[in-house]
Amino acid sequence: MNAIEIHDLHKGFEGFSLKDVSFSVPQGTVMGFVGENGAGKSSTIKCMLNLLKKEYGEILIFDKDHVEHEQSIKSDIGVVFDELHVPETLNATQLDKIMKQVFKTWDTDYYFERLAQFNVPKRKKIKELSRGMRMKLSIALAMSHHPKLLILDEPTSGLDPIIRDEILDLFLAFMQDETHSILFSSHITSDLEKIADYITLIHNGEILLSESKDTLLYEYGIFKGSREEVSELPEHAIIKKRNGAFGVDALVLKKEVNEAFRLERPSIEDIMLFFVKGCV
Amino acid sequence: MMIGLIVKDFMTIQRQMKAQAFVLIFLLIMAIFMRESSMLLAVIVFIVTIQAITALAYDEQSSWDKYANTLPIPKGDIVLSKYILSVLLMMMGLVVALPMVFLINHLTNNEITTEFFFTFIMIVTSTLCLLAVLLPIYIKFGSIKGRMVLIALCFIPGFLLGVFKEYIPDITRTFLDVKQFIYLTPFAGLLLLWLSSLISTAIYKRKEF
Repeated sequence: MNAIEIHDLHKGFEGFSLKDVSFSVPQGTVMGFVGENGAGKSSTIKCMLNLLKKEYGEILIFDKDHVEHEQSIKSDIGVVFDELHVPETLNATQLDKIMKQVFKTWDTDYYFERLAQFNVPKRKKIKELSRGMRMKLSIALAMSHHPKLLILDEPTSGLDPIIRDEILDLFLAFMQDETHSILFSSHITSDLEKIADYITLIHNGEILLSESKDTLLYEYGIFKGSREEVSELPEHAIIKKRNGAFGVDALVLKKEVNEAFRLERPSIEDIMLFFVKGCV
Repeated sequence: MMIGLIVKDFMTIQRQMKAQAFVLIFLLIMAIFMRESSMLLAVIVFIVTIQAITALAYDEQSSWDKYANTLPIPKGDIVLSKYILSVLLMMMGLVVALPMVFLINHLTNNEITTEFFFTFIMIVTSTLCLLAVLLPIYIKFGSIKGRMVLIALCFIPGFLLGVFKEYIPDITRTFLDVKQFIYLTPFAGLLLLWLSSLISTAIYKRKEF
């Protein structure tokens, strides 16, 4: 079963559009949704949440249509944006009282445990909290009704590495339950390397790849050499090429390349750069 | 779920309401000196009710709707909660203002007359009508643009009234004719508010966040 399935999603904006976006997030996995700023990550997520209305395409969450079953789906998901979109005059304790009325499954004890774990003050107004604190509060809010799916839109952007690490650990703990899934949009590829099982890369509103992270990291390799050396690589092994510091870099399928070629292990960032800036 | 939204709005405007308490004290003193209880009633009801717009402004400032629409709350409930909040605020305004009015009348030896009840009903009806116009405008355009639309809406009828003054029947006479039906006007106001909520819901459902 897939937690999320998107088929041929299309949505036009002025000067930009999501073009036939298709990918799926298998249940029990973390999907890293990666792409540069303005690539279409947030727009795709907003379409999934019906915050933006799709022009055509199909979006299924827990195998149900995302508009037809909007309320039941939203009872089982937790959403974190890059900002906490809650009136700044409220505080964490007041938010608990509000959420109790919104979710039947709201767990006050769990919520305050998370706040204590993150050292988020209970009675300080949101406007008085630092960005890191607000994000932690946002995550506690998203998780305290025990959702099955977390949709995270740049939850770690602008945070320092220590806080990011704490937050990633919490997501890893969430994934201990094998029915849980996460869609994690970010352009901080190191976070995705830590946590993601799959990577989907979006560029200019189009999906360039959607693969298991292990496939990307262990089956792909980078060869760095001169133009002549790269031309000796088998044509079908080369996925993308780009100009490097001392010649040409090529992203290749490891198993198709003779061991005589010294290959480097790529990072998600390398792969992203090859797909976005490279050519065939 | 809707209760959660109303609770949230009350919590959001709590501070603003406390700040308004000082204005109310000032108004009370003024009303005692002026021996003008009807004015006090109108102003208090208006000030308290208009806090619904403050709640909308706070929502807009924090992009609350973007978050609220990720929660299992139907869009219709999000809109309806603002209407219920407004009516609750109006009732709160009346509860706060009426004892003050009775106090002023007692101090100034004025009796509560039929004329006062007439004013009271007119205030309630006007508030309901005002909300019926304000809420769809603010929901559609937001607080900054909404204000401009509102000014335009006030200006255009005023301008047309000025231009076609001679063709319009005597308003005062018409008003006196319908005075016997005055007790029905709050119901007409409520009906208008209900229609307005349907329009606002339709607007909100088409919005993107």
